[in-house]
Amino acid sequence: MHGIAYDSQHDEIIVPVHLAGALLVFRGDAEGEDVPVRVIQGSHTGLLRPETVTLDVKHDEIFVGEDSGHDVLVFHREANGDVAPLRVIHGAQTELDEVRGVAVDPERNLLVVSSRSATFPTGVFVFKRTDDGDVVPQAVIAGPKTGIVRIRQIAVSDGKIYVAVKNNKDSFDVNAAVPSPWNPDLPGFIGVWNISDNGDVPPRAWIKGPATGLIWPAGVALNSGDREIYAIDSVRNGMLTFFMPEVFDTSTPTKR
Amino acid sequence: MQEHAKRWAVLGSVVALLMFLGLDRGPRGSGPALSPSLVDEDANRDECTGSFLPAAYAAAPSAAVPAAGDIGPIRLVQDPYPSLHSIALDPLSNKVVMSDSNRGNLLFYARTGGGPSPSVVVPDHQIRGPATGMMFIAGVALDPAHQEVFTVDNDIGDRMLVFPYGVEGNVKPKRVLFVPHGSWGTSLDAGRGEIALSVEHINAVVVYRREASGGEAPLRVIRGANTQLADPHGIAVAEEDHEILVANHGNWAPLTRREAIEGKSRGGQFQLPSVTTFDEAAAGDITPLRTLQGERTQLNWPMGLGLDPEHNEFAVANYGSNSVLIFRRTDQGDVAPMRMIAGDRTGILGPVGVAIDWQNDELWVTNYRDHSAVVFARTAEGNVAPKRILRNAPLGTPAVGFGNPGAVAYDSKRKEILVPN
Repeated sequence: MHGIAYDSQHDEIIVPVHLAGALLVFRGDAEGEDVPVRVIQGSHTGLLRPETVTLDVKHDEIFVGEDSGHDVLVFHREANGDVAPLRVIHGAQTELDEVRGVAVDPERNLLVVSSRSATFPTGVFVFKRTDDGDVVPQAVIAGPKTGIVRIRQIAVSDGKIYVAVKNNKDSFDVNAAVPSPWNPDLPGFIGVWNISDNGDVPPRAWIKGPATGLIWPAGVALNSGDREIYAIDSVRNGMLTFFMPEVFDTSTPTKR
Repeated sequence: MQEHAKRWAVLGSVVALLMFLGLDRGPRGSGPALSPSLVDEDANRDECTGSFLPAAYAAAPSAAVPAAGDIGPIRLVQDPYPSLHSIALDPLSNKVVMSDSNRGNLLFYARTGGGPSPSVVVPDHQIRGPATGMMFIAGVALDPAHQEVFTVDNDIGDRMLVFPYGVEGNVKPKRVLFVPHGSWGTSLDAGRGEIALSVEHINAVVVYRREASGGEAPLRVIRGANTQLADPHGIAVAEEDHEILVANHGNWAPLTRREAIEGKSRGGQFQLPSVTTFDEAAAGDITPLRTLQGERTQLNWPMGLGLDPEHNEFAVANYGSNSVLIFRRTDQGDVAPMRMIAGDRTGILGPVGVAIDWQNDELWVTNYRDHSAVVFARTAEGNVAPKRILRNAPLGTPAVGFGNPGAVAYDSKRKEILVPN
């Protein structure tokens, strides 16, 4: 399992099962061997290896990103069984390759996707929320100034995109000396961009450096109420919490 | 379907992170240790030099941006102790090796190590550090004849690393072989001079020359719809019987659109877990010689396999039900195990590795969820206490359970953080 999303409105947890081509939906209080309340799986779903997932509760939709499918599939939030997706964003014009993260801004009607590729840009792709088919993204945040080499989970809140920039190199040069996993050439970071950013632009803010404890951050989630950012690190096998009131919308009172 | 769904609910379960280890606010704070011995902090520095903003952005015209930068976490959830994964034995050299997937570490103990008390047992020596290239390591194998240790990086790293006996600390491997992403189990075929690996993501078994290195291609690949391989994990070569046994979790999905079409548009599936057996020279999309599968087998998230060639048996580390199942090597179909070790007295909790020391009539189990390994009599059965316990953390220390986590979510209703492995 490489992704997870929580639906606070309906109190459900959604998990993609990468190796079984499935999406499982659990009650929010599920534990142990509780049975999922819904399972999306089968040849009609178009799911190959679902990697990442997010929810749009405003429009009752689930967005699923796939790495080997090079696409984003959209299902009704209550879809169950071997059902076809409502929409599929896929094709050369999308420039999507290995999709690692998806997030939706329902207010701005935007879909934000992170994708890594050896052919297309590795970065953040912004589509219209209702896009379908082989469509051109309306913005792509990628390039050397972004600091993005490898990318994974993303989150969107208040017009900002939070990105787990993992920057791992898992395709090593076989002729090179044994590469050390513990001191990668480019340590990862959590980067923050405006949702209106486009092109080779540096992050508006980041969590990066030796004090952060981040090596290869693979996941990011937000707790706006407490002004906290959660980062999961795949090499450290750790979950780190950062207090960053400066990046959250100050019009919402903090719970601290 | 309901049983399938119930079983896979385990996969869907998440770790509710309730164990906050301390506070660390501000740059270079004095909070919890971030396993400094594992991390070369200097190597993680970059041109940022502690600046709150990227240099490129500092030069940008609109500088009204939120501050951040090189700040310390206010909380960290991390397991400072090893998470024992797989195990291999060399009774002739009095050696036991266990892989630690949490810290990228190999721990070596004496075959007679541990005791009845739950006190911490210090390993004889360890291989660990940046030079080793070990990351999220999984399976291990020992080659007594050539005095070598094999292990594979699993979901990150994609390499098999070989070390000579006797080395310890932060040492470079003797050989490095690039292997498919998701390689998990390792088993040596000394007679043929080969090493067999199971590969989760592509539902395959790959067989290499024992001495393979660099980008060398496998000698053989077992893969395809007829193989019944479905998220394979444990693997064991039965040299004397010229067979390869493979434990399958049961997950299956096409890897590409083409594979979905060629597979007659098969979508993802939750199959029952199984143990499939192949001829040791098998290659391609071949039907297994035998398949052990069904409700009576009690297979539930089968992880490592341990072979006993002397008594023609094999053991399964049955993670999903905290048990070890013992079958006859030739069992097939929906048959019950001939013995099972399970219950609150066994100390088995989240078993991943299992090995049978038939020369000394013992059975070893590594517990992923309990910072321990337990040793039983080879013929132990039922809810029995282990003969010996090897703990690597004080009794009662919780195992965080992270294994290469790749995502995180926040449950605002319960104020819990959800992490899938």
